[in-house]
Amino acid sequence: MSISDISTSIGNIHLSNPLILASGILDENGHTMKRILSEGAAAVVTKSIGMEERNGYKPPIVATDDPIFINAVGLPNPGINDVGEEIKIARESGKPIIGSIFGKDENEFIHLAVKMQEYGVSAVELNLSCPHVKGFGSEIGGDPTLVKKIVKGVKGSISIPAWAKLSPNVTNLLDIAIAASDSDALVLINTVRGMKIDIYSGRPVLSNKVGGLSGSSIKPVGIRCVYEVKSNLDIPVIGVGGIESALDAVEYIMAGATAVQIGTALWKYGRAVFSKVSMELVEFMSSEGYEKIEEFRGIALK
Amino acid sequence: MINSIRILRNEINTPTVNSLYFHWDAMVEPGQFVMVWVPGISEIPMSLSLTGKEKCLTVKKYGDTSNALSKVEPGERIFFRGPYGKPFTRVKGKTLLVGGGSGMASLRPLIDKNASGVVAARSSDELLFKELFAKDRITVATDDGSEGIKGNIVDAMREIELEAFEMIYVCGPERMIKSIVDFVSVRKINMELSLERNMKCGIGICDSCSIDGFQLCTDGPTFNLSTVLTMKEFGRTKLAESGKRIWF
Repeated sequence: MSISDISTSIGNIHLSNPLILASGILDENGHTMKRILSEGAAAVVTKSIGMEERNGYKPPIVATDDPIFINAVGLPNPGINDVGEEIKIARESGKPIIGSIFGKDENEFIHLAVKMQEYGVSAVELNLSCPHVKGFGSEIGGDPTLVKKIVKGVKGSISIPAWAKLSPNVTNLLDIAIAASDSDALVLINTVRGMKIDIYSGRPVLSNKVGGLSGSSIKPVGIRCVYEVKSNLDIPVIGVGGIESALDAVEYIMAGATAVQIGTALWKYGRAVFSKVSMELVEFMSSEGYEKIEEFRGIALK
Repeated sequence: MINSIRILRNEINTPTVNSLYFHWDAMVEPGQFVMVWVPGISEIPMSLSLTGKEKCLTVKKYGDTSNALSKVEPGERIFFRGPYGKPFTRVKGKTLLVGGGSGMASLRPLIDKNASGVVAARSSDELLFKELFAKDRITVATDDGSEGIKGNIVDAMREIELEAFEMIYVCGPERMIKSIVDFVSVRKINMELSLERNMKCGIGICDSCSIDGFQLCTDGPTFNLSTVLTMKEFGRTKLAESGKRIWF
């Protein structure tokens, strides 16, 4: 039997494997993104970039108690005008760079998307779901009218694909997914709002108090969200939330995901997680007799 | 997991440096660090300055968090997570410990009968842990000439035959380490350097402390000389708290 082919495509973006570095993890410094791509990620999503420079929150920005992982980094970013250099360094890898952006309204998102396109990214990812910064993210991503306007506005202003990253912290995810369905792909899911209190100091650990729960704790939520959206909409979905092994990735793909993003797993496995999961995926596919990812994509939906 | 441990004593080392002693039942090796949290203020990375049964954190006062930490009294709690990072490689044979500013704090667990030291500071009263070395095994430099050689850490290192040591361990601010790396360059010596950069998560996630794609917190903070020599960002550019690239 021939060796299993783990490549995939999201629209016109070809990926050598289905594993993308999720936004927010090791994607601030161009040299880091370049190294991660050389060590096995098929593409990287940058940290979310806004109009102005932001320092983010003071540490502690993470609260961990394996397998619990909660973060509130607070959207630190150099601002759109100063991120071009990092993207240029990352692009030396020759692999796709996805520019994540956040704004407070349609006009900001359009401005950011146009700039990202100028910097040469392969697609933009609209962060409509950061769970821990007031005025951005979830507060926008929970309003279907605003989501629709932002997606439409961005799509009308750039020629590269636009992906919409949605939050699970909403009453009806499907309403938001429908509102965002003019985009080229949906990225599901961002972190789940959560909190950690240290019982010896009697204080919330994160400086922002509330953060986003990620990692294996949220995988069942992510699977459900992908499944629910793919059961109702014909749009490519990128699955994210708790992927640490190929078995996790396969679950997302069987729920209908075209590709997956990995973030929190770098905490346990380091940058090597990408080559680890790729190898496991080849093993799984050979042992199950799959030659291509398409053969099992979405089979749980039938 | 956050450890909360009551300290045994708080010792004053210099006008700007204190050491907090405590018992912590964990395996820690020289060069590793913890993220120390002062509730209500912030969290900072700190190397352990003792790694046996009794542990120690040596605090240089430079901001709100370290100032608050330096005032913790015996019986009061400190909060930290770790240990994190790659330790120094241990060797048998003669070692040289080179510490600038408060850099000697993370080298202190390596002080033994085989160790010689180079300690540099702005002035005499800021020389840290020089008294822990035998008199004939310590070279001192001060910027103002108030003690030892008048000059910087490289001036002190010029006085020493570096090739005579099995390993040279270095710790200090990046600018100082850059001057040492430029000085020794491709000489045939074994050297490991503990680097410092703005750190937020401590666990290889946030990208704040990265140099050339290496995360200081998980790939380091200790690196050997040949790796540091390959780093294009080292001593030249770094990312500010926001992620904006700035020049040294």
